[in-house]
Amino acid sequence: MGKIMWDMIERTTTGPIMSEDDFENELFPTVIAELVAKHKIEFDPNEPIMSDPDMADAIFKAGMELLMEVGLYCKDTKRLVKFTESELWEVIRTRRHTVTLGTGREAITLDPRTAGDPRHPFTWFPAGAYNSTDVSRYTELAKMVAQEPTCDGLIGLPLMGVGDKKLVTGTPAQALKVLVEGQAIKEAALWAGRPGFFLGFPMSATTPLDLMHAFESGIYTKDNAVMSVQVLQDLRINYDRFNQAFFAQQAGIEPWMSSSPTLYAYLAGPEQAAVEIIAHTLAMMAFSDGSLTQAMSCSVHGTYQGNDITWTNSAASLAAERNIQVPWISFGSTADPAGALSDDTWIGTAIACITACVSGMEALWICGGSTALECRMAGEVTRAAAPLSAAEGTDLIKRLSKIEKDPSPGLVPMEDLYDFKNFQPKELAMNQYKKMAKIFKEEGLSYPTWE
Amino acid sequence: MGNTVFDLKEAVSWVKKEEAEALTKELLADGIAPMIVLEQGVMAGLSELGDRFEAKKAIVLDLVKGGVTAKTCIPLIQAAFPEGEAGADAGKKVVLGTMLSQHNIGKNLVSTLLSISGYEVFDIGEKREPWDFYEKAEEVGADLIAVSVVFGPAMQKFGDLIELLKELKVREKYPVIVGGAVTHEKWASEMGADGWGKQAKDAVSLTEELTL
Repeated sequence: MGKIMWDMIERTTTGPIMSEDDFENELFPTVIAELVAKHKIEFDPNEPIMSDPDMADAIFKAGMELLMEVGLYCKDTKRLVKFTESELWEVIRTRRHTVTLGTGREAITLDPRTAGDPRHPFTWFPAGAYNSTDVSRYTELAKMVAQEPTCDGLIGLPLMGVGDKKLVTGTPAQALKVLVEGQAIKEAALWAGRPGFFLGFPMSATTPLDLMHAFESGIYTKDNAVMSVQVLQDLRINYDRFNQAFFAQQAGIEPWMSSSPTLYAYLAGPEQAAVEIIAHTLAMMAFSDGSLTQAMSCSVHGTYQGNDITWTNSAASLAAERNIQVPWISFGSTADPAGALSDDTWIGTAIACITACVSGMEALWICGGSTALECRMAGEVTRAAAPLSAAEGTDLIKRLSKIEKDPSPGLVPMEDLYDFKNFQPKELAMNQYKKMAKIFKEEGLSYPTWE
Repeated sequence: MGNTVFDLKEAVSWVKKEEAEALTKELLADGIAPMIVLEQGVMAGLSELGDRFEAKKAIVLDLVKGGVTAKTCIPLIQAAFPEGEAGADAGKKVVLGTMLSQHNIGKNLVSTLLSISGYEVFDIGEKREPWDFYEKAEEVGADLIAVSVVFGPAMQKFGDLIELLKELKVREKYPVIVGGAVTHEKWASEMGADGWGKQAKDAVSLTEELTL
């Protein structure tokens, strides 16, 4: 597969040239709209899950054609990198279908699953805290989620800085932050008796150099972590991505291929977003030789939930399951930092988990919320919903969406929710957990709870 | 029967640039007051487009194209105003960019909304450093700096911009507003921003307020 990356690099110097404005405002939106119309791909606003195999195949075909007609836009050279159909089929044919992450007793293998498969998607919990500079508190929060029975791995959240050290990006201060995050979640995994946990990828590493520092340090390794190689927004690429992919290849690190389309920005709706995810995935497979794919959508209106979001995620997953067959992951959260006591957030997170189960996904990342109890719920719901058929899952999501929710109290200090001496939840948090567990059980999800 | 301002409103709302330009010329030639052409034609069309965006019936790209359409019509209307009446609010300049990262969706939307509200926007693009904002603001004589902050490391850089402006003794000269996915009001306030916008449209009201 390496040869395709070299061909792509050459095409960044020889492909059709155009301004980014023309690409963004004319070529890309015109062609993707034509392909969606040609293949009769239609979103039904009443349906949270897309389970039609014929439409999934149409999404796959449209994604392939998008790469052949438009290709990737290279921001460094302003040229298009197009693909031939035979290249794309070669990429698909030579794919690895399983990926093993983590080591020892904590090693997990992502095997292909489909809707109705009783094997649950793995649940990787968010560890630490957003926007904090307090490394000690960050580590404590990571320990809280690492100890959860349904935790299958940790995704370190980005620190805001390290203590009072000024974070100067593009310098070793940025690399230090990346290493401290890794050290903290590694310590949490050790403390929880799970030294072999998968530790995600160094999310704070924003340059190839940061990523190389992260793996050179030995904190992140090819056995416990993956390396991001994602394309840029709406079919764009730059030379950093090739460099990251090449480094990962040489170091034997699994690439983290990621596609996160934003609905209603330059994409007219879920149909186009699903097609874009397939095109992104095939392109990343071509230059990174990767298999592990993360695909999640969000809305330019600022939400990670709603039928348009879940439809996109499930449609892309089914299209990939039927035609590409690579380990598939999505986002397991509503990304609401004030959601610890919000019914809306808890139910939104549960819907994301159910969507993954009935869309044949293999794992969920940042699964849960701002507290370990939200993660616990997400892990439990994912296990309980795994055997559901697409129809059963769709019906459950529709019922959950209609449940009357209590008003959210907003942001609650973590000290009110957890005891930091023993890392156990306090009554306020437990009451929310029990309330939501009761609702999920009443709606037909049967599972043991760790109360 | 001739065309009306309603036709112009529809042309702007549905982003038909050539048609909107021709209609603007026709209506002004027919003696329709420039203010009516502007408010009931162009601005009403943009407002309708904005409503469709809120309802997820239009996308950012439509707003961008709507902004281009409006910008084609507005100079024609301004030229038709009796001398001294046009452009009372014109001339306010905003320097806009994304700090550090490649993201451009929110920034482009803010640029469009400010432009169609009559501000002259100097979009310095993505992957920008604090100095770039200062340098452009000095070059064009900006009235305000607007910064898009979309990922963690850029948050610190925003603080660096505020400090830079203070160090260069121009902090009072340039109100600074910020917004973006990772930002929130408390953080913006702590950093010393003059305003924070949760949504792109907030940039317009903040700019109006801060450039009075």
